[in-house]
Amino acid sequence: MNKRYVFTFPPDIVNRPIVSEIAKHFDVMVNILNADVTSGREGKLVVELEGIEENIRKSLEYAVSAGIGCVPLLKQLQFDQEACVACGVCTSVCFSGALTMDSESWELIYDPEQCVVCGRCVKACPLRLFSITMEG
Amino acid sequence: MGLTKSYEEIQEKIDRREAVVLTAEEVSRMSRELSPAEIVRKVDVVTTATFGPMCSSGAFINFGHYDPPIRMEEVSLNDVPVYAGLAAVDAYIGATSESKYNETYGGAHVIEELISGKAVHLSARAKGTDCYPTKEVDTTITKDDVNEFYLFNPRNAYQNYAVAVNTLGHTIYTYMGTLLPRLGNATYSTSGELSPLLNDPSFRTIGIGTRIFFGGTQGFVSWHGTQFNTSKEKNEAGVPVSNAGTIAVIGDAKMMQSRYIKAAYMERYGVTIFVGIGIPIPVLDEDLARSVSVRNDQIEATVQDYGIPEKPSLGRVNYSMLRSGSIELQGKQVRTAPISSLLRAREIAETLKQWITAGEFQLTRPVEQFPAHSTTKPLKRR
Repeated sequence: MNKRYVFTFPPDIVNRPIVSEIAKHFDVMVNILNADVTSGREGKLVVELEGIEENIRKSLEYAVSAGIGCVPLLKQLQFDQEACVACGVCTSVCFSGALTMDSESWELIYDPEQCVVCGRCVKACPLRLFSITMEG
Repeated sequence: MGLTKSYEEIQEKIDRREAVVLTAEEVSRMSRELSPAEIVRKVDVVTTATFGPMCSSGAFINFGHYDPPIRMEEVSLNDVPVYAGLAAVDAYIGATSESKYNETYGGAHVIEELISGKAVHLSARAKGTDCYPTKEVDTTITKDDVNEFYLFNPRNAYQNYAVAVNTLGHTIYTYMGTLLPRLGNATYSTSGELSPLLNDPSFRTIGIGTRIFFGGTQGFVSWHGTQFNTSKEKNEAGVPVSNAGTIAVIGDAKMMQSRYIKAAYMERYGVTIFVGIGIPIPVLDEDLARSVSVRNDQIEATVQDYGIPEKPSLGRVNYSMLRSGSIELQGKQVRTAPISSLLRAREIAETLKQWITAGEFQLTRPVEQFPAHSTTKPLKRR
């Protein structure tokens, strides 16, 4: 199974290789989708964990015991669909396949499952309709 | 020459509610089975439309006279500088003029807000004269407060446009959107077979005085657009393969809807404005029947490298390819994306069709044709 989380690192543990530890000890693949880590400040990682359910659960327990905040990534990209004019500009920079144009209706289709929270659409949208919420 | 119809005959059919009005996409589909001769007999008017970013746009506004009066010199609306070098209380809000304090906000936003009924802050300064003694005004205005508020866009609805790509090793930010490095994506901007000036490529029915759908209301073509160019290469279907003709348009912004006039900000480029335009084309004869039947696979556009100042051509693609989601360039599959809304362009073409069918929109014959021969000159270095 695949599950996405926002990991929040307090400043004092950003130097520990938690992600590697998880991957090594629990046989869980960790795909880092987005990272904002600076020494001395709180760090944030958006990760996708891939493995069997039991191992993902253990990984999370381990991360929490190490002092990391783990919140499931539910609301990734916020999108004001009502105001969208379906120009398509966001689809030109979306490589995950989350934002595509329907080839018949030419409406914008947003598939949150595909989103890797890269943030390119946030800047590309001419109407500024996207925002990213890292909280779960 | 087969059957011909006059503007008057078509208008009479419209008045009797007997006219057959189709969108340009519908007639393009029809042309797979019917010949131009059959289409002239069957179809009276074809509606075309586009909804895309058109930087060369703006609005005239007359604020009304203050008491005591002011001859406004430096004027801003919501901190966006507007041009006031004409008389006392006339001004022109350029769509791309940027706020003094926020580069993502500009004239386009002021125009959209006024259209949607919002109040904007007017700040005006003057030196003061005997007949215009006031030196400073700070107040708010709405579209209902001002005398005139009309869009007058010098260059809209480009007849075809480049497909933009970037061969450099880094991302570039353009009016064609964000262009990713090493041919990472390709963007295009016209509405293809629905695009107004591609359906009447030699401007037989579109000229000065043509009534159009403009921003949700009825407006007019006021002149040929700036950079109007009739000398661009045309393909076998008679379609210019790069940016050629343009139109200048005028319309009452007080009657417009913000659904069809939308402010925009292109990352690290600046402010621009989405403009909705629809143009009816009367099917007067077989030649026009042929031109309104143009299909996406016949409309070719030139791929240009925006990473290099001269924007060299990397070849030609057609709109069927562009709409498929990827094109092949230098042996690589390159993702394509539009920057204008076909969805909203279709909505405009349908709306115009309903207006005409219901007898609410009168067809017009151009008062004057556009120049038959025109080229674009560069600014010389001296």
